[in-house]
Amino acid sequence: MANKIIQWIDRRFPLTSFVKHELTGYPTPRNLSYWWNFGFLAGIVLTLQVVTGIFLAMHYKPDASVAFDSIQHIMRDVNYGWLLRFMHSTGASAFFLVIYIHMARTLYYGSYRAPRELMWWTGQGLLLLLMATAFMGYLLPWGQMSFWGATVITNLFRATPFIGDQVVVWLRGDYAVGDDTLTRFFALHYLFPFLIIAGVVVHLVALHTVRSSNPSGIDLADKDNIPFHPYFTSKDFFGLGVFLIAYFTVVFFFPHSMIEAENNIPANPMVTPNHIVPEWYFLPFYAILRSVPNMVGGVAAMFLSVMIFAFMPFLDRSRIPGGARYRPVYRVLFFIFMLDILVLGYVGYYPPTSQTIAIGQVATFYYFGSFLLLPFISKAEDQWLFKKGLPPNIIALIESEAIEKRILPQRRRRGDIT
Amino acid sequence: MNKFIAVLVLHCFISPAWAEEAKLEKIQVDTSVLAVERGVDTFMNACHGCHSLKYVHYRDLAGFGVNKDKISAWRGDSTLDAAMTSLMSDDAAMQSFGKIPPDLSMMTKAREGGNSYLYSYLIGYYLTPEGMTSNHVFPETKMPDALGMSGATDPAQRSEVQAKAHDIVSFLSWAADPHEAERLTLGYYVIGYLIILTLLLYNVMLAVWSKIK
Repeated sequence: MANKIIQWIDRRFPLTSFVKHELTGYPTPRNLSYWWNFGFLAGIVLTLQVVTGIFLAMHYKPDASVAFDSIQHIMRDVNYGWLLRFMHSTGASAFFLVIYIHMARTLYYGSYRAPRELMWWTGQGLLLLLMATAFMGYLLPWGQMSFWGATVITNLFRATPFIGDQVVVWLRGDYAVGDDTLTRFFALHYLFPFLIIAGVVVHLVALHTVRSSNPSGIDLADKDNIPFHPYFTSKDFFGLGVFLIAYFTVVFFFPHSMIEAENNIPANPMVTPNHIVPEWYFLPFYAILRSVPNMVGGVAAMFLSVMIFAFMPFLDRSRIPGGARYRPVYRVLFFIFMLDILVLGYVGYYPPTSQTIAIGQVATFYYFGSFLLLPFISKAEDQWLFKKGLPPNIIALIESEAIEKRILPQRRRRGDIT
Repeated sequence: MNKFIAVLVLHCFISPAWAEEAKLEKIQVDTSVLAVERGVDTFMNACHGCHSLKYVHYRDLAGFGVNKDKISAWRGDSTLDAAMTSLMSDDAAMQSFGKIPPDLSMMTKAREGGNSYLYSYLIGYYLTPEGMTSNHVFPETKMPDALGMSGATDPAQRSEVQAKAHDIVSFLSWAADPHEAERLTLGYYVIGYLIILTLLLYNVMLAVWSKIK
């Protein structure tokens, strides 16, 4: 019976071949480490956010006079409303954490290089959408930090050339952040996740065209690829279990750590909080914004600091496979860059003092410097490594894979493999 | 570079000047029904005259297990479904204090330091040499010393005020997060379930991967 139904569908829709091609038979490098779990996890967190978000939207009221009250209604009166809300507020941080690890893995292993540039760029677009979604969602509780955070960030668009003031009014729907801002942010906060889903589909189609990268940095021949299912489904689900333990530990035991104390005070345009801070995931970029003394320059630097990742395929001139694994200089650069981001995050969290400004400026300088010098450093490192000779194991791997690729068409013709 | 790292490391040990506020007394909140019940009692006598608790309803107290007779005494003419709004009108509050006393529903979550902040604030009142009351934690406060800490001189009196402050914090901590107990209990079950599930998934993974080693 089941077979008949599947046959019926297959005559009209490529169900079986799709599942075989993209899941049960999808060839995946067998040497993927746990760092390759985070793309799957990002998909899961996206789903969690969409599902909890839809249920929250059933009880939330996007109206400046009752938005804060409706959150309290969700927290107190809606059945398990507190769970939905804490899952959603913790999920936002989990999403960024997972995405940042996903990006760091790509940077470390050089997965952005040819032929995966489009994966990297669609990922960059998804990051921007995620940031916009998170920023707009943060306004919805209508607390003090929501209000003032939105005020500060929308105000940055004043730096737009010629039409700055109009852009700010256009974004806010009013001269100041108010009810109109709240309603439009709510509408867009509901829309953007679906744009993200569409972006994820593009990201996955690109992935299934170029296939996963792997820690060796070489596209492995068929003998080193194994079907996605059951090998990587089982691995991904184990990773998911570990992730959920961490996530639900925060949701159930430390949920308030994800909500600024100041945001439990209703928005009040007459009272500015002493200390306006964005959420942790924006802190490094916020620090860069504040490190440039001039506002327009600061805004430009902040946007560039996010967008500059897109240039990585051009900036990295090395031909050595495997990213940082076989590239000692790049590896050092990578870890200092990670440290630099932590320093920027620290600087972004504290109110500016002459000391933190100085540290922030050095860190900002290093941030951009490491991108701008990368072409020269990677080229020099490449020449140095080739002159010195690559490690024997990687030479052996490159050679065996080359042979594998040469004999592959012959074996295929002989019918050894399908 | 080394210098930069040194500055950075040093910086981590210097707490920035803005964080230099009065030391908060760290407290462990008693979340028992009895403590909360004593807390509501003190709250109704000392705080509710001016402060509202608009997100808490009298029925929530009943749901938590507070004595029904006590609730009827506190709510007076209000229905069980009514929010615990304050007895003072906004106009009267403006007349007396120059500002409307903040709603206390979320107070233990709306300040850095939470419960400890609130406790330290309540017992932070003292008499200045000029004979005025002031507060160590929040010097600009407009609130009078409702619990009488500044006038309490002998240790017995002081510990009585401290006990009252403790109870108020117990109550307000519950008021700000009424589902906390339920959340923690459910949390242990969920995490326990996930640990077992993850161990099983780990074994599934090992079993699957053993085929190709």
